[in-house]
Amino acid sequence: MAASNDEYDFLFKIVLIGDSGVGKSNLLSRFTRNEFNLESKSTIGVEFATRSIQVDSKTIKAQIWDTAGQERYRAITSAYYRGAVGALLVYDIAKHPTYENVTRWLKELRDHADSNIIIMLVGNKSDLRHLRAVPTDEAKQFASENGLFFIETSALDSSNVEQSFQQILTEIYLLVSNKAIESSQDNVQPGTGAQIIVSSADDYTKSPGGCC
Amino acid sequence: MSSNTRTAYGTSSTFWKRTPTFVPSTIEIVYTGETPSPAETTAKPPAETTSAQPAPRSASPQPTPQPTDKVQEPLTSTSSYDDSSPIAQDEAPTHPLELKFHTLLTAANVDIEELQKQSWKGIPSSQRSTAWCLLMGYFPLNASRRSQTISRKRREYTDWVRQTFSRGEDALDRSLWHQIRIDVPRTTPGSPLFQSPRIQRSLERVLYCWAVRHPASGYVQGINDLLTPFYYVFLSPHLAQPVDSLDDSVMDTVEADSFWCLTKLLDGIQDNYTHAQPGIQRQLIKMKDLVSRIDAPLAAHLDSEGVEFIQFAFRWINCLLMREVSLTSTIRMWDTYLAEPDGFSSFHIYVCAAFLLKWSKQIQQLDFQRTLLLLQKPPTESWTAKDVELLLSEAYMYKCLYHNSPNHYSATQKR
Repeated sequence: MAASNDEYDFLFKIVLIGDSGVGKSNLLSRFTRNEFNLESKSTIGVEFATRSIQVDSKTIKAQIWDTAGQERYRAITSAYYRGAVGALLVYDIAKHPTYENVTRWLKELRDHADSNIIIMLVGNKSDLRHLRAVPTDEAKQFASENGLFFIETSALDSSNVEQSFQQILTEIYLLVSNKAIESSQDNVQPGTGAQIIVSSADDYTKSPGGCC
Repeated sequence: MSSNTRTAYGTSSTFWKRTPTFVPSTIEIVYTGETPSPAETTAKPPAETTSAQPAPRSASPQPTPQPTDKVQEPLTSTSSYDDSSPIAQDEAPTHPLELKFHTLLTAANVDIEELQKQSWKGIPSSQRSTAWCLLMGYFPLNASRRSQTISRKRREYTDWVRQTFSRGEDALDRSLWHQIRIDVPRTTPGSPLFQSPRIQRSLERVLYCWAVRHPASGYVQGINDLLTPFYYVFLSPHLAQPVDSLDDSVMDTVEADSFWCLTKLLDGIQDNYTHAQPGIQRQLIKMKDLVSRIDAPLAAHLDSEGVEFIQFAFRWINCLLMREVSLTSTIRMWDTYLAEPDGFSSFHIYVCAAFLLKWSKQIQQLDFQRTLLLLQKPPTESWTAKDVELLLSEAYMYKCLYHNSPNHYSATQKR
C-alpha cells in the first residue's frame, strides 16, 4: 500500500483524467487503498496517492495524480501532465457524453503531456450493465485506432481495477527498460525524490494492447 | 424593532421559536463558556499590537468534545446554559451574550463595527442568521429600510427562478446544469439534511441562477460547498420539523437569502473561479511568502522535498478549508471572516498558513509523499471549537505581525 520510503526500482508518474463524475477518485482509492466511497466529494484541483507493485521481480512505485474533471480546472490540472509517463483516460460506460469527450481529453494530453506518454482508455462503472450506453466493441475499436490500451473496470465491484493499473505500469516498465537497454545514459534513478524517470521523447510505436 | 427582525425571516412569528428537541448546539458551544479557561490566554490574539483591529479575543473555549465528522445535523444541546427554553428572536434572550447580540441586531441603525467586533469571537447561533445577513451587507443596517429591501430582494430572486426554470430543463444550459446536477448529491454527502431531495433541488436552483449571472466564472466545483453554511445557518431555526414538512415560504426565504449571501461572498473572491483561477494563484504566492517568513525551516523543507504549495493548498483556498474542517467549524470560522476586512480572501491566507504550521514539526520529518498525504487529509476529525478558535487567533497574530510589513509579499527566502 501507500508506503513511503520503501525501496523501489522504478517510480512512475501516472495521471487520472476524464470527465467529472466518471469515477476517477474511486478507481484510485480502490487501487491504492482497496476502498470505494459512495459518498465521495468532487475532486478539487489534484489529489495524490501511491502504490507499489511488482513487475518482473522489480518494484514499481506508481505515483498517481487524480485530477478534477471540470473544465475550469484544466489550467491547473494540465500542469500535472508534465513528467507523467502514463495516463488513465476514464469515461463512464453508462454516460455516452463522457465517452464522446475522450477526444477532447486526448487533445489535452497531446497539448500538455510528453509525446511518448502511454494512455489507457478506461470504461468505468462496468457494473452498470443495464445502463450501458457505450458498447465495449466501439470503445475497443476507438482505442485501437488511436493507439490506446483499453479496459473496462468497475471501481464499485473491483473488477479489472487492479489489472488496469498493473497493465499500464507493466507497459511503461517495458518501454522504459527497453529504452534503458537501448541507451545506457538514459538511466533510471531509483530511490530519490519525486522526479520521474522517462528520458528523451524518442518516438516509438505503441501497440494497442488488448483486454476485455 | 421586533417586527423588523421578524419580517427579516418570514411572516410567521414562530420562525424563531426554539424547540427543546433540536438545537444546533454544536454551533453554540463556542460562546457558552462563562468562566475563562486557561486556553483563553494562549488563544488570545495580540489585539494590543494593532489599534486598527477590533481587538478580537477568543471566546472561552468549551472542553466539550464536539462531533466534527460529516454529520452536521442539529443535535440536542450540550451547551452550558439553558438552550432548551423557547426563545423567539423578537423576545429579548436571557443569556448575556445572546442579549448583547440581540440588542445590537435590533438597533434602529446597526452599529456594524461593534457587530464585527463582537462577531469575531463567535456569534450565538440564535442570532447568527440575522448577524450574517447584516455582516454580509445583504440586510441594510438601517432597520426602517430593512424589511422593504429584503422583500424586494427575495422577490427578485424568486422571479429569476421562475423565469429560468419555467421552460423546463431543456431550456437550461446543458453542460452547466449537468455539472451542478452531478455535484449537488456530492455536497456534504454525510449529512441527511443535504441529502434531502428538497434541499438538493433548492441548491441546484441557487447554483444555477448564480452561475448564469456570473458568466466570467460560472459554476466551479467547490462553490457548492460554499453554499452549505448559509443553508445550515438559515435553516437551523426551523429544523425542529423535518425539512420535507417545512412551509414553502420558509424554504423560499432560506433559498433566496442563501442565494444573496452566496453572491455577496463570491463577489469578494470571484477571481478564485475565473479562467486559470488567478485569485487562488495569487493567494498561493502570498501564502508561500508568509510561511517562509513565519517558519523558514518548514518552507525550506517543503522546498527541498519538492512540495509545492499548489499541491496541497489549492483546495484550502478554493473551498475555504471546508474540505479540511467540519461544517460546524466552518460556520464558526465564518463568524470571524465576516468580522475581518476581506476575511474570505486576505485573512483566509493567514488562516491557511496557521493551519499548515499546525503540522510543521511533523512535516519536517516527512518526505514528499508523506507530506502530501498528510496535508491532503489533515487529522482534524477531533477538532473542537477550541481548535478552530486557536487557529483563528494564530492567524490573527500572523496578520498583525506581517500584514503591514512592507517586505511581506515581496519577501523571497534565500535558498
